[in-house]
Amino acid sequence: MSKYTEDDLKKELEVQEYEYGFYTDIESDTFPAGLSEDIIKAISKKKDEPQWLTDWRLDAYRIWKEMEEPDWANVNYEKPDFNAISYYSAPKSVDPNKTLDDVDPELLKTFEKLGISLDEQKKLSGVAVDIIVDSVSVATTFKKTLGEKGIIFCSMSEAVKEHPELVRKYLGTVVPKTDNFYAALNSAVFTDGSFCYIPKGVRCPMELSTYFRINEGGTGQFERTLVIADESSYVSYLEGCTAPARDENQLHAAVVELISMDDAEIKYSTVQNWFPGSKEGKGGVFNFVTKRGICHNRAKISWTQVETGSAITWKYPSCILKGDDSVGEFYSIAVTNNYQQADTGTKMIHLGNNTKSTIISKGVSAGFSQNSYRGLVHISPRAKNARNFSQCDSLLMGDQCGAHTFPYIEVKNNTAKIEHEATTSKIGEEQLFYCNQRGINTEKAIALIVNGFSKDVLNKLPMEFAVEAQKLLEISLEGSVG
Amino acid sequence: MELKEKLVASFMAFENRGNVDLDSKVHQVRTEAFEFFEKNDFPTKRDENWKYTSLKSVLKHDYNVFPKKENTLEFKDVKKYFIHDLDSYKIVFIDGVYSSFLSETTHEGFDICLMSSALKMEKYSGVMEKYFNKIAPKETLTSLNTAFADEGAYIKIGNNTVVPRPIQVINFSTGAEKDIIIQPRNLVIVGENSQVQIIERHQSLTEDHKTFTNSVTEIFADKSSIVDYYKIQNDLETSSLIDGTYIEQQEKSVVNVSTFSFGGKLTRNNLVFHQQGSRTESNLNGISILDGKQHVDNQTLVKHNSPDCESNEMYKGIYAGKSKGVFGGKIIVDQIAQRINAFQKNNSILIGEKSEINAKPQLEIFADDVKCSHGCTIGQLDEDALFYLQSRGIPKKEAKALLLFAFGNDVLEKIKIPQLKSRIRKQIAKSLKVNLEFEW
Amino acid sequence: MLKIKNLHASINGNDILKGISLEVKAGEVHAIMGPNGAGKSTLASIIAGKEDYDVTDGEISLDGNDIMELSPEERAHKGVFLSFQYPVEIPGVSVTNFIKTSINESRKAQGLEEMPAKDMLKMIREKSDLLEIDRKFLSRSLNEGFSGGEKKRNEIFQMAMLEPKLAILDETDSGLDIDALRIVANGINKLKSKDNAVIVITHYQRLLDHIVPDFVHVLHDGKIVKSGTKELALELEEKGYDWLKNI
Repeated sequence: MSKYTEDDLKKELEVQEYEYGFYTDIESDTFPAGLSEDIIKAISKKKDEPQWLTDWRLDAYRIWKEMEEPDWANVNYEKPDFNAISYYSAPKSVDPNKTLDDVDPELLKTFEKLGISLDEQKKLSGVAVDIIVDSVSVATTFKKTLGEKGIIFCSMSEAVKEHPELVRKYLGTVVPKTDNFYAALNSAVFTDGSFCYIPKGVRCPMELSTYFRINEGGTGQFERTLVIADESSYVSYLEGCTAPARDENQLHAAVVELISMDDAEIKYSTVQNWFPGSKEGKGGVFNFVTKRGICHNRAKISWTQVETGSAITWKYPSCILKGDDSVGEFYSIAVTNNYQQADTGTKMIHLGNNTKSTIISKGVSAGFSQNSYRGLVHISPRAKNARNFSQCDSLLMGDQCGAHTFPYIEVKNNTAKIEHEATTSKIGEEQLFYCNQRGINTEKAIALIVNGFSKDVLNKLPMEFAVEAQKLLEISLEGSVG
Repeated sequence: MELKEKLVASFMAFENRGNVDLDSKVHQVRTEAFEFFEKNDFPTKRDENWKYTSLKSVLKHDYNVFPKKENTLEFKDVKKYFIHDLDSYKIVFIDGVYSSFLSETTHEGFDICLMSSALKMEKYSGVMEKYFNKIAPKETLTSLNTAFADEGAYIKIGNNTVVPRPIQVINFSTGAEKDIIIQPRNLVIVGENSQVQIIERHQSLTEDHKTFTNSVTEIFADKSSIVDYYKIQNDLETSSLIDGTYIEQQEKSVVNVSTFSFGGKLTRNNLVFHQQGSRTESNLNGISILDGKQHVDNQTLVKHNSPDCESNEMYKGIYAGKSKGVFGGKIIVDQIAQRINAFQKNNSILIGEKSEINAKPQLEIFADDVKCSHGCTIGQLDEDALFYLQSRGIPKKEAKALLLFAFGNDVLEKIKIPQLKSRIRKQIAKSLKVNLEFEW
Repeated sequence: MLKIKNLHASINGNDILKGISLEVKAGEVHAIMGPNGAGKSTLASIIAGKEDYDVTDGEISLDGNDIMELSPEERAHKGVFLSFQYPVEIPGVSVTNFIKTSINESRKAQGLEEMPAKDMLKMIREKSDLLEIDRKFLSRSLNEGFSGGEKKRNEIFQMAMLEPKLAILDETDSGLDIDALRIVANGINKLKSKDNAVIVITHYQRLLDHIVPDFVHVLHDGKIVKSGTKELALELEEKGYDWLKNI
C-alpha cells in the first residue's frame, strides 16, 4: 500500500526520542509576555485588522477575564500562567506578498525535517498546504489552482483582509466567544490560522492541509480555523501538528469551526503529534482545543483524529446536527505513553429529524499515562428518528496506566435508537506468543496488534496520512513493553 | 420552615430525648454525620451525581420528622403488600415505628430484629463499633440518615448458617397525620459460609399526604457467604424514595441485588459494592417500568479492589407517558485488581412520547489484565417482531406487552424465590396494563 | 534434527513433564498420543519456547544446537512451527498482512531481503489453492469469527507459507469435519519432505489414517510410557488409554 518499507520503519524505531523535537533558529518577532487589552489591541494593529475585529477580540477578552479555567476533565496539571505567555510570535522575515522563494531558507529546512518539502508536495501528492509556524501563516501552496474553482484557501489574516464579509458572517457562529475558557481566550488573542471556503456545488479537487508548528519558547499558539462548505460542496481537510521538545510546557488553544451547508460534506482529519513531554513527564504541549461543526440539511461532517502527542489533550470535536437528515461522524485513536494524559471524545447534538451519528473511539494507554474517552450523545425532543452508534474500545499496556470511559447519553425523543458499546482489555500473552511463534518479535507484534485495533479509524484517513499515522502509533508506543 | 432548618431543629430534639448516651460511639457518629449534612446541604443538579435528578419538588413539602402518634394497621388491610404465600420472617415498621403485631422476628440461631435495640443495648456495642456506618459514604443524604439513625432492620447471621426462610422488611407509611419523612437504617451482617435472602419494600397507604423516605442499608458479606437482596419499589405517586445500599464483600462471597421499580413519584437508588476479597462475585439486576410523571434514577458503583473478581450488571427500563429514567453505572478497577471480569448492560425502551432517558455508563480502569465492557441501548419495540405476532392473531396491545415482557424477562429469571418471581411477573403484566397470564 | 533429553517441566509448582526423551530425524513423522492432561500440549509449547513453564531439567536441541535459551521468535526463525490447538484471534490484522509480516521477519533474521510482493502473491495463491482456501478468507481478521475448522486450516496455510523444518501439529484434527480433515491432511502430506519432520499430537487416531506416522509415542502423566510403530495407534484406539496406567 505504500513506499514505506520495513527498513524505513526500522530507522524510525531507532529514533527513540521525539522525532520532530528540533528548534529552528530563525529570527522572530515576539511580543512581551502577558495579556492585557493593550496587547490585544497591539496584535490587532500588527495585523492591520478592521475595527469590528478588534472590538470582537476585546469583547472576548472581557468575557474570558470573568471565566474560570475548567477542571472537570480527568487530567491533572499545573494551570498555565496566562501572564507568562507571549501571545504573538512571528518569524521576522515574513512578507505578506511572499512566494515560496521568499521564505526564510532556515524555515524551509524546518519543513523538510518535518517531511513537508513544499516542492515535492506540489508535484507529487496534490495536497495544498498552509503552514502556520508559531502564530503566522508562512506559505500557502496551490492557491492558483484552487482559485480557478473559486475555492478560497488562505491564512486567516489574509481572509480578514480579502474576504472580510465571509469572516465576519461566520466567525464565532459555531464556537461563540462565550463557549468556554479556552475558546474565549482564543477569540481574544488568535493570531492566525487557516480559512477555507468552498463555493456552491464545488468538489474540492485535492486535499487541503495545514501544518501547525510551535517554534519559539514561551509562546502560546492560538490559531483559528474556519472552514465553510457551501451548498452541495465537498472538501477534505487535513491538519498536522508538531512542536519542538522543550522543558517548559507550551500552550496550544485552537478553535476550529466547520460549517457544512445543505447537502455539503466536510471531512476533517487531524494527526496530532505535539511534543508529549519527556519520558519523565517534563515539558510537553498543553493542547486545549475547541472543535465544532454545524450541519445543515442533508449535510455531513466527519472528524477523524489520530492523537499521539501533547502532555495533556483536552479536545472534543463535535457536531451539531441541526438540519434534517444530517450526518455526524467521529473516528478517533488516542495513544498515550509515559506521563501523557488525554481526555478526548465528541459531542453529537441531534436537533434535526432523521439525523445520524457514528462514534468510533480507540484508546491505547501505556507507561504511566491516563487515557479517557468523554462523549455526549444528545437527542433533543424535536429530533425524530435519530440514530447513534458508538463504540469505545480501550487497550491497556502495563499496570501503571489507566483507561476510562465517560459517555453521556441523553434521549428526549422516543423515536431515537441508540447503541453504545465499550470494552477494555489488554494485549493478551497468548496473542504475543502466537506472533512470536510465527517469528514476529514482541515489539513488532505489539505494533501489529495496535494497528489492527486501530484499523477502523486508520481506514478513514486519507492515504497520505494513514501511513504517517501508522508510523506515529508505533513510535509513540516505543519502549512501552518491559 | 425550610426542610433543612426543620431538620436542624429536630436533630436537637432527637438527641435530647433522654435516652441517648452522650458518651457513646453512636452518638459521636450521629453528631459528625449531622455536621456534615448541615455544612453540605441537599444535592442539586450542579452535583455531577445528581445531574439528571432534581430533588426540588421533593424537598418543598413540610414534612413531619417524627410521627406524632403511634399508628396501627390491621393485617388484612396490608396483606397484599406482603409476599403472603411465602413462609418468612418479617420486620415491619409503621411510619418509622416498629410494629411487633405485624412482625415475626427471632434471636434463635441468628438475630433478625431491630436496629433500635442494636443501637441502644450494651451487648451489641461491639458489633456496632465494627460495622455501623463503616461503608455508608460521606454524602449529605446518607449523613442525614446516619444523624437520625434510630430504627430499621438489624440482621446478623453467624458463620456456617443458612437462614431457612426469606426475611421481609416492610416500611409502611399511613399518611394518617401529615407529610412525613422516614429514615430507616438497616444493617445486615452475614458470617462465613452463611446464606440469607431479604425482600425489602417501602409502601404508602393513602395519597392524602406525602411520604419522603431516605433509607440506608449497609451489608457485610463475609467469606464464601451468599446474600440475595430484593428491592420492591411500587409505591404510590405521592411517595419519593432515596435508597442507599452499601455492600462490602469478602473473599469468595456472592451478593445479588435486584431492584424492581414500578411505582413512586421519584426514586433514587444508590447501590455500591466494595469487593474487598479475591474471587468475589457481585450481581446487579434491575427493571424499571414507569408511566405518568414518574422518575427513577439508578446509580450503581462497583469497586473492584481485589484480584480475580467478577461483576455482572443488567438494568432494563420501559418508560411510558412522561416518565424519566436515569442510569449511571460506574465500574472502577483498582490497580491491584488484576484478572477482573466486569460486565454491564443497560437497555431502555421509550414508549411515551414525552418519555426520556439519560444514561451514563462509566469505566475507570487502572489494572491492565481485565475484561470490562458496557453496552447501552435505547430504542423502541422491534416493529418486525410486533408485526409477526400480529400476523399470528395476537392483538397489537397484547403483542406489545408480550414483547415488553420478553424484554424484561432475563432480569426476572434471576429471581430465586418462586413466590416473589410470580408476584413480580404479575406486577409487570399489571404495569403493562394487560391481563395476560404469562407462563415461562 | 530434534533431540529432547530427560525433559522435566512444571507450572506453578506442579510437575507436568517428568523426564521426556525423544529424537526426531529429518523425513520422519512422529505421533504423540495420550489422554487429556498427559502433558502433550505442554511438550509442544515448551519446544516452541513458551515462557509460562519452568524447565527444571533436561535439554532440547535442534540440529545439534541447544535452543533452550532462544526466544520463541528465534526458534521460529530456525524453522520450528507450532500449529496451535487454540489459535489466537488478532482483530483488525488480516491473514495476508500477518503472514507477510511473519515471512519477512524470518527472512530478516536470516539476513535475506524482504520477499518481493509479486513472489509473495504467487506463493499465497499457490498455498491457498493447496488448502482449498477462498481468497476472501485471506482479507479477514486473523482467526476472528473463524469456525474451528477455518482456524485449523489457516494454521496449516501458515505452515505451508513458512515451510518450517519442524512442524508440531497440536490437535490439528479437533474441530475438523471429515472433508476438512482430508484437505488438511492432504496439505500436510504434500508439504512433507526428506528434509523436514512432523510431530503430530492427537488424542484420536483418525488423523493418523491420513498422515501415516513412522513412530507413535504414548504420553501418560508426563512420561513416554510406550513407543512403537503405527500399529500402536490402532491398538490404543481399540483399548483406550486405561490399560496404560498399569505400565
